[in-house]
Amino acid sequence: MHPSYLGVFLTFARNSLIRDMTFRTNFIIEAISSVSWMIMNLGFYTLVYQFTPSIADWGKYEFFVFIATTMFINSLVQAFFMPNMQELSELVRTGGLDFALLKPIDTQFLVSLHRVNWSSLGNFFVALLLLAYSLPRIEGLQLSPWQYLLYPLYVFLGVWILYSVMIGLAATSIWLGRNQSLYDFWFYITNFSRYPMEIYDGPWGTPLQKFFTFVIPILVVINVPAQLMAKPLIDADWWLAGFAILATVFSLIASRWVFKLALRSYRSASS
Amino acid sequence: MSAIEIRGLRKSYRVYQKKEGLWASLTGLFHREYREVDAVRGIDLDVEQGEFVAFLGPNGAGKTTTLKLLSGVISPTVGQARVLGHVPWERENSYRRKFALVMGQKNQLWWDLPAQESFRLHQKIYRIDPTEFDRTRDELVDLLEVRHLLGQPVRELSLGERMKMELTAALLHSPDVLFLDEPTIGLDVIAQHNIQKFLKHYQQQRKITILLTSHYMKDVAALCKRVVIIAHGDIMYDGSLAGIVDRFSGHKELTLQFADDRMPSDLARYGEVLEIVEPKARLRVERGSIAEVLSAVLANHSVEDVSVEDPPLEEVIAEMFALTADQSRESRDANRQPAQSVTQSS
Repeated sequence: MHPSYLGVFLTFARNSLIRDMTFRTNFIIEAISSVSWMIMNLGFYTLVYQFTPSIADWGKYEFFVFIATTMFINSLVQAFFMPNMQELSELVRTGGLDFALLKPIDTQFLVSLHRVNWSSLGNFFVALLLLAYSLPRIEGLQLSPWQYLLYPLYVFLGVWILYSVMIGLAATSIWLGRNQSLYDFWFYITNFSRYPMEIYDGPWGTPLQKFFTFVIPILVVINVPAQLMAKPLIDADWWLAGFAILATVFSLIASRWVFKLALRSYRSASS
Repeated sequence: MSAIEIRGLRKSYRVYQKKEGLWASLTGLFHREYREVDAVRGIDLDVEQGEFVAFLGPNGAGKTTTLKLLSGVISPTVGQARVLGHVPWERENSYRRKFALVMGQKNQLWWDLPAQESFRLHQKIYRIDPTEFDRTRDELVDLLEVRHLLGQPVRELSLGERMKMELTAALLHSPDVLFLDEPTIGLDVIAQHNIQKFLKHYQQQRKITILLTSHYMKDVAALCKRVVIIAHGDIMYDGSLAGIVDRFSGHKELTLQFADDRMPSDLARYGEVLEIVEPKARLRVERGSIAEVLSAVLANHSVEDVSVEDPPLEEVIAEMFALTADQSRESRDANRQPAQSVTQSS
C-alpha cells in the first residue's frame, strides 16, 4: 500500500500552520518584513522609470507584471521549499536525516516538504494585487483566455526549476557534511533571474544569458511566464516556452538523480 | 527462519585526521590525511522471532552502527543482513513499514507541537487505519501513563515524558521488529523503571523481536534473556546474562562477619582483601578455591555470618572491556594491515 502523499502533505501544511500560530507575533513580523521588502523594491523601480520609458523594451507596467511574477514564484518557493532545503544541511550534520530514511515514504518528498513557511505567502497576495493593477495599464494589451491558463502553469514550472536547483545544492551537504552557503546561492541565483533576459547582451551578457538559459535554466523561470502575460510571445519566442517545459523536466530528473546519489553516501552522525 | 540474520557485516569509515593548530588546519585545506576506522568488523548474528536481545559494549563499540545498518540508514562496506527477509539498506517501503528505531539521544517528534500532532502525521505516513490508530494510540498512552500530556507541546515535556512519547510514536504502526538505542539514557530511576516495565509487558504481549542497546545493566537484567557483547566492532560474547560472570570472572566475593570483634589480622592469606568494616570483611577469592578457603576460614576463626556472591555484573563487564581493549590493541599492532593504515590524498 502506498502512503497517501497528498494526505501527508496536508498534514505537514496543517502542523506547520499550528506551529506558526503558536508564535504568532513572529509570524506577523515575518509576513510584514517580506512584504515591505518587495514594496521597497517596487518603489525603487518606480523611481527608475521616472528617468526612462523602458528598459530593454519593457515599459513600466510591463515590468511591474515581471515583478509580480517574481513575487509569485519566490513566495511559493520560500513558503514550500526554502525552509526545508535550509534544514536539510542541518539534518545531515546532526544525523536527523536518519528518521526521514526510516519512513515508508519517498525520502526526497519528506525532506522537501515537511515544513511550510506560511508567512512567506504574504507576497503571493501582494503579487495578485500588483498583477491586477498593472495589466489593465499596459497599452494595447489584449489578453486571451489561453494566457490566463498558461500563466499559472509556467509560474508552476518556474517554481519546480528553482526547487531542482535548490535540492541539488542542498544535497551536496550530504557529501560535504555541511553546506550553509545555500542562502547565498539562492540570493545570487534569484539576482540573475529577476531581470528580463534581454538585458543580458553584449560580449559579457550574451554568454551569461546562454549559460543561465541552457546550463542552469534559471532565466526561463520568471521570463517565460512574465513575457507570456505582459508582452504576448512573438512567434520567434515560442521555442522558449517549449524549452521551458523541457528544462523543467530535465531539472527535476537531474536533481532527483543528484539527491539519490548523495543519499547513498550518507554516513549518519554520532549517536 | 530467523527474524534477523547477519553475515560478515562490516562498516568502515574514512576519517579525516585533523591535526592540532592553525597551521595544520591551513595545510589541511590542500592536503589531508585520512584513516580507515572499522566501526563494525564482520559480525555474524542470528536473532529469532520474538527474542529480546541486549547489545552491550563500551562507547564506540559499534552497537549503534549495527542498529543503523539493520534499519537501513547506512549501507555496509561489505557483508549481508536480512531482517524479516528484507535487505535493510534497500529501503523498501514494505520493510520500513515493519520496523521502528528509537534513539534515546535524538527525537523525531515536532518540537513545538503537541505529540498528538506528530502521531497524526505518523498515521498518514504509515497509512494506519483510523480506528486501528485510535485504538493503538490509546493503548500505548495508557500503558505509558501519558494520556494527559498528549496536548502539551513536546518542548514542554520532561525527558522521561518525551521518551514515552517517542516510544508511542515508534509503536503506532505495530512494528514486528524494534530497535532501541539507549532508550533510558539520562532518565531517573523511576522513569527508567517505568520504561522497562512497559517494554517487558509490550514485548511479552506482542512477541515482537527487539534489539536493545543500553549502558544500564538494570535495563538488560530486567528485559533480556540473551546478551550479545560487542567491543571494537567484534562480537565477544553471545549468551545469557548469568553466563557472562561464569565466563569472564574467575572470582567470587566472600563476605565474613567475625564474632566478638575478633577480626583476624592475616586475612590476606585467604584472598585479596577488598574492604574491612569491622566486624565485617569482604574478600576476593579465586573461584576454584572457594570451598577450600571457606573451610579454612571456618576452621580457624569464629565466624558469625558468611556469604559467597558473584562479583557485580558491571565490574565483570568493565573488566572484560578492558581486556578486549588490550587484545584489540595488540592485534592492531601485530598486523598493520591496509584497513588500519594511514592513506593520503590531496
